[in-house]
Amino acid sequence: MGLFDVVYHGSDEMYFKAEAAVKETIEKIGENAPVSFGNTAYYLACIKAYTALEVTNMAQLRDALVPIRAMMTRNNRTADIFHSGIATAMAAEVIEACKYAVNPKPYGEADNPNDNKYHGHMTDAEVRELGVPLVTRDIPGFVVLIDEAPTDEQAVALIKGYQSRGIFVFLLGGIIDQAVRKGVKMGFPVRVVPVGPDIIAVSHIISLVVRAAFIFGNIQPGDYVNMNTYTMDRIFAFVNAFTPVSDITVACGAGAIAMGFPVITNETKDMNWRVPKSLIINEDVDQWIDCSLEARGIKIKVTEMDIPIACSSAFEGEIIRKGDMQLEADGSRKDCLELVRTKDVHEIEDHKITLVGKDIDEFGVGEKICMATIVEVGGVKMQPDFEPVMERKIHSFINCLEGIMHTGQRDLIRIRVSKAAFEAGFRMKHFGELLYAKIKNEYDAVVDKCQVTIYTEPEKVHELRVEANKIYDARDARVSKLTDESVDVFYTCILCQSFSPSHVCIITPERLGLCGAVSWMDAKATNQLDPNGPCQIVPKERVIDENIGIWEDVNEAVNKYSHGALEQVSLYSIMMDPMTSCGCFECICGIEPFSNGVVIVNREHTGLTPLGMSFSELASQTGGGVQTPGFMGHGRHFIPSKKFMKAEGGVQRIVWMPKALKDSVAERLNATAKELYGIDSFVDMIADETLTPEGDPEALVEFLTEKGHPALGLEPMM
Amino acid sequence: MGFTAKAQVYNAAIQETVLGVGDKALTLGGARTQPLCSFDETWKNAPAVGVEVSDIPFETEGFPVLAEYYAGCESFGDRVKRASEMEGAKFVCLHFEGADPGGENKSVEDIVALAKEAAAATDLPLVITGCKNVEKDQAIFTAVSDALSDRNPLFMSAREEDYKTIGAACAMANGHKVGAESAVDINLAKQLNVLMTQLGVAPTSIVMNLGSAAAGYGFEYVASTMDRVKAAALEQNDTMLQMPVITPVALETWSVKESIMSQAEMPEWGDKEERAVDMEVVTASACLTSGSDAVILRHPTSVKTIAAMLAALA
Repeated sequence: MGLFDVVYHGSDEMYFKAEAAVKETIEKIGENAPVSFGNTAYYLACIKAYTALEVTNMAQLRDALVPIRAMMTRNNRTADIFHSGIATAMAAEVIEACKYAVNPKPYGEADNPNDNKYHGHMTDAEVRELGVPLVTRDIPGFVVLIDEAPTDEQAVALIKGYQSRGIFVFLLGGIIDQAVRKGVKMGFPVRVVPVGPDIIAVSHIISLVVRAAFIFGNIQPGDYVNMNTYTMDRIFAFVNAFTPVSDITVACGAGAIAMGFPVITNETKDMNWRVPKSLIINEDVDQWIDCSLEARGIKIKVTEMDIPIACSSAFEGEIIRKGDMQLEADGSRKDCLELVRTKDVHEIEDHKITLVGKDIDEFGVGEKICMATIVEVGGVKMQPDFEPVMERKIHSFINCLEGIMHTGQRDLIRIRVSKAAFEAGFRMKHFGELLYAKIKNEYDAVVDKCQVTIYTEPEKVHELRVEANKIYDARDARVSKLTDESVDVFYTCILCQSFSPSHVCIITPERLGLCGAVSWMDAKATNQLDPNGPCQIVPKERVIDENIGIWEDVNEAVNKYSHGALEQVSLYSIMMDPMTSCGCFECICGIEPFSNGVVIVNREHTGLTPLGMSFSELASQTGGGVQTPGFMGHGRHFIPSKKFMKAEGGVQRIVWMPKALKDSVAERLNATAKELYGIDSFVDMIADETLTPEGDPEALVEFLTEKGHPALGLEPMM
Repeated sequence: MGFTAKAQVYNAAIQETVLGVGDKALTLGGARTQPLCSFDETWKNAPAVGVEVSDIPFETEGFPVLAEYYAGCESFGDRVKRASEMEGAKFVCLHFEGADPGGENKSVEDIVALAKEAAAATDLPLVITGCKNVEKDQAIFTAVSDALSDRNPLFMSAREEDYKTIGAACAMANGHKVGAESAVDINLAKQLNVLMTQLGVAPTSIVMNLGSAAAGYGFEYVASTMDRVKAAALEQNDTMLQMPVITPVALETWSVKESIMSQAEMPEWGDKEERAVDMEVVTASACLTSGSDAVILRHPTSVKTIAAMLAALA
């Protein structure tokens, strides 16, 4: 028999049972007898949801059989098994309603349904109680376990496994007896509810689902399409059904799939119709939890970390002195490194923490050790571009541990573990636990699975370091190859608007945020991780002038995100609509009229510039989100960029910088000048506070003339 | 040539949100002009003044008028009834300070009983304010939301930390209104509105609490944020910033030194009660001028004064 036939057969079977139940019940109590599950304002909720009928007595229940039968269509299209499946659940509700019509407490005498063996109908209050955490995702989803697991132990392992992940568990049929035998605590408060002795009681679960959709989704009765869209998008449920699966159960399963709830089963008979992510046959019951969560797209939040010491930003600046140190991983002396890598989800075992080499207690006190931390992450939305963003956060994650100090990144890290932390029981695996929990929580938008391996075996770490350096180099090469032309979008950054309300940064690959902290890659990651956050996508389709850096899209974005304060920004000019500044710029560049160039001063420099003004005096003209032609705040890394005031001729306009700043950008700036103008050692032509007297523009021009600085020969900027 | 005033009426409007039920139901918002500019267009709905009542009786030392106003009240219900009778009061704000786990730590059941007592004492719309403890507020709001399911109250506030629970339990499950609280930042305000609507809360169920400060305590940030919110809502038709604004003024002004220093300590500052009322009136009028559609006040003199100001400007 094919799956279609099984579903048809199962739905017929349920329908005939329902018909018989109605007949028998009417004979017993008459057609005017009231029908109600009690404590609900939604009548028989499944029937109301899909037919809009409000059944209150046995005659109406009998009449409801007609539209239910009509839904069991037989045209051999997928829609037929979906409709038949949902109609099967409605037929099941008819049978349950008959039970309640005869006896309002068919599942036991206790007033509190949690005290009975089977819970049966759930009240509207219970729907709300479960519905709120389902909407907020505090309960990430629920599972319906149907019939008997292969062994009692496997039944308990599944129930507890789901419970420990915060998944609400409903039980139907034989698995309830297994749970009872094993002494599993059950009831609404512990989030494991034994609903009923057989598949017919599934209608109580569907009733809960549709009432949640009425209450929280404002879905209207009879709206088949929107009901199923809502349950698919908003109700994170799934089904686990054990073999042998009856035809009736298969028919109900088709209804579940129609509502967007995948079915995982170890039944292989007649399952010739596979639906990716919806009907999954997996004969290894022990794998069901991971398999089900992945099929329904449920990610589990990690709330607790198993670490013997505290973790909080209060410990972030803590210094561990040599005398207090248990051991040290010092990247300047030994091989050490940290690396985040993307892997295929199926190659990662979530929450696997491995240590290769000796643990902290096996090293001598005060020893300098080799240490490599490799974090492997995977997820549907994970991109290798996010690796460095996460990797850089390792520093702040580890530094927040009490009694642990962390500096640096990549292979230039230094980690010190204090004697106090060691005595509290801190070991290598706890680094893994911490990174696992932090990465899963902070990057849950892109990371589905994460595993951490820590190596302390010197030879292995050495090998890894060689490999890692290739990866770091490849990343750097990728970043340096990224140009404004090679990407399709820029990003906004409005992180600073709380104190500079009209400022908007436009982040491009060659022009990072003026604070120096947000690169294009960071902005991209921020946007993916927090789609409503400060970094929004700016397309660059409608170019106005690529040389000056004007795009209509960019103008629209600054207009929108400055709430109308700014209308135009030129990304590559400091004279024409320059980009505004919030106030947290690393550097300011300002026009120097005598030399026809610009001076750049960094925040750390306290002396005067040749303009006769200090950094702070210049800052007062530049910040606050206003455009001041001739003055602009920017990040340090923007200086050697080919886009730096490209409209005015580029970096050859730079005539003065503080020596420290000059030294820090010299290498890249020389390379840019060589590439753009063929000038060798361009930085030597730039004056600084050691070469010309402070605040003296005439001495500056003299120096530039002597060096043959190209700015002197350029067109005037004003 | 005579001067002809040109009315500045925008094509966009502040969204209308209804609080409460029956005759006393209150509609906030609806304006198409800059705040209070009734000369540009007659107000569709006047800004509203509400009265704060706490489950812990107010400190009355040095506040004889306030003490006299509530004299003889024996229960929370008595005080709520008295508060709702203030001249100009359009709604009552129940402030459950006593739920604070760091203070009296009243149980959820106690708070529900108090809320029911208050609901029985007045038919004015109710605004529910918690104790600022995120976890406790979620618990009491969820329970009070069920208990007052027929009163259409406004819950203040849903914050970034708890908007999901409060949005789901109050607005979605019971159809009540929710105040989206942000800390004087237009982007965070908008982001919270976006997140709440993505959760499934109807925009018309959201009222914004943009945060406030007592006058002289950084109020310029409040004014500037409100200006920009109103500009985005009206000039740019930004639907995610068109929700009406409610400002719990009393929560700010009654804790600043002008309102708490006794006359004995600060004789040169003059009468303590007069100062407290002045702080409340000055801050409330500034909020209304900046764009608040409702303010929450404590003192009967303040309520009367602000209501009179609004009546004169209508």
